[in-house]
Amino acid sequence: MNARAILDLSLPDLALVYGLILLVAALARLRGIGQERDLLWSSLRMVVQLLAVGYVLHFVFALESAASVLLILAVMTAFSVQAVAGRVKHRMPRFYRIVGSSMLVGCGGATFFFCNAVIGLDPWYDPRYLIPLAGMIIGNSMTGAALAAERLAAEMRERREEVETALCLGATARAASREAVRSAYRAALIPSINAMAAMGLVFLPGMMTGQILSGTEPITAVKYQIAVMCVITGSVAVTSFLILLQGYRAYFTPAHQFREEG
Amino acid sequence: MNEPQAALSIETVHKSRRAPDGRTVEILCGLSLDAHAAELTAIVGPSGGGKSTLVRLLNRLEEPDGGRILLFGEAIAGLDPLVLRRRIGLVPQKPFMFEGSVLDNLQRPFHLREEPPPAADSETLQSVLALCRLDPELLSRAARSLSLGQQQRVALARSLSTGPEVLLLDEPTSALDRPTADRLAATLREICRSRRLTILMVTHDLRLAGRVADHLAYLEAGVILEEGRPEELLNHPRTEQLRRFLAEPGTSEEEPA
Repeated sequence: MNARAILDLSLPDLALVYGLILLVAALARLRGIGQERDLLWSSLRMVVQLLAVGYVLHFVFALESAASVLLILAVMTAFSVQAVAGRVKHRMPRFYRIVGSSMLVGCGGATFFFCNAVIGLDPWYDPRYLIPLAGMIIGNSMTGAALAAERLAAEMRERREEVETALCLGATARAASREAVRSAYRAALIPSINAMAAMGLVFLPGMMTGQILSGTEPITAVKYQIAVMCVITGSVAVTSFLILLQGYRAYFTPAHQFREEG
Repeated sequence: MNEPQAALSIETVHKSRRAPDGRTVEILCGLSLDAHAAELTAIVGPSGGGKSTLVRLLNRLEEPDGGRILLFGEAIAGLDPLVLRRRIGLVPQKPFMFEGSVLDNLQRPFHLREEPPPAADSETLQSVLALCRLDPELLSRAARSLSLGQQQRVALARSLSTGPEVLLLDEPTSALDRPTADRLAATLREICRSRRLTILMVTHDLRLAGRVADHLAYLEAGVILEEGRPEELLNHPRTEQLRRFLAEPGTSEEEPA
């Protein structure tokens, strides 16, 4: 990455731009249309949270041991599994084990594939690349995982009669739950599919925009964005697939019997 | 017991279930019964007596907590459930129609088992259609658009198309009006005779059971209280429970004089 030096923002610059929020809040107050408290509170939170993250990243990027980078990735994954659990109302049996292992394999595989097989990081754990990329991959896979898990549980509940009828007709557990799994997989992949189709036309993705702003040649930024979208989609697909593969089995005994939920 | 061979032998079967309030309720309490080959055996009894649970144990949709079940002398617990369910067909109380045509539904068991399905004009399908008194014209109709009585027949034909040795029926007529139920009963009778198929049916409809069954058993509170020839049980009930059940409205219903 060559190009011009990045235009850094000074503290007075920041104060000036924050003045915009204050102006908007003041106007809101003046005209009595409300929202100024929320506006101020949220903007303050944003400033504090981002500064905190900035310092954390500053510290993390300076890390020189693979173990500490991996530890951070593990913590990120754990938080994401927790977030998925929070979003999914009806959980399949063995939820944490299934979602956790799937996220680990799906996201971990995609991240390391990209960072090492494709861009060839040196050292392989270079946190400056690994952490933000893993963040994007985990964040997107989390959405896919939540959709897959939620949809599978709903399908299994709604299709109970269909599944048991299929079992009665001599189907294996796998054949009996095929429609439920297909439908859950579709639900998990739709956001990624739509995002890829609309990319560049409806919105300019944040990562690409950010790279361009920080001086990267647009074509280079575009190439990165294409690569990242492929990796994200791959990770979403693998994670959801693993969740569904283990998930449908959790609904059956080894004797192809449909289990009561829980 | 060296009588005619039992197709299905149920030996002191127990089954408990966790009630929603957390207590364990015993559904079947040491139930024993034989269903003889090529006969129609009917189990009657009040709702909640464990009839549907029993049916689910017989093709291993669930496992009993105790006792054993034999299919022609072989313990079903030792059979591969997938093979067992090909030998024992089950038509549930509310037949489920897969999306698609009647033909799709009849071919579904073969697709599910990854076997080549019989064609619409094949001997296999045409003979089960005739047996279940389904008009071949219906094959192209959407299965879910049929009447309940027709759906029940499609479910029956679907189970029969794969050639089971035993057929289990859970309340086959509960959703049907009287004339439709009677016609279905006649069809069951005929299937049993012409295919020499063993049929085990559970129902709360005593009138129906009395008309079609070779052997009748009365199930209440998880055990068989009485069994024998239908006219014996209906005319000379030995237990107080069966007498009470017979007197209940809706079980023997207004028999035309």
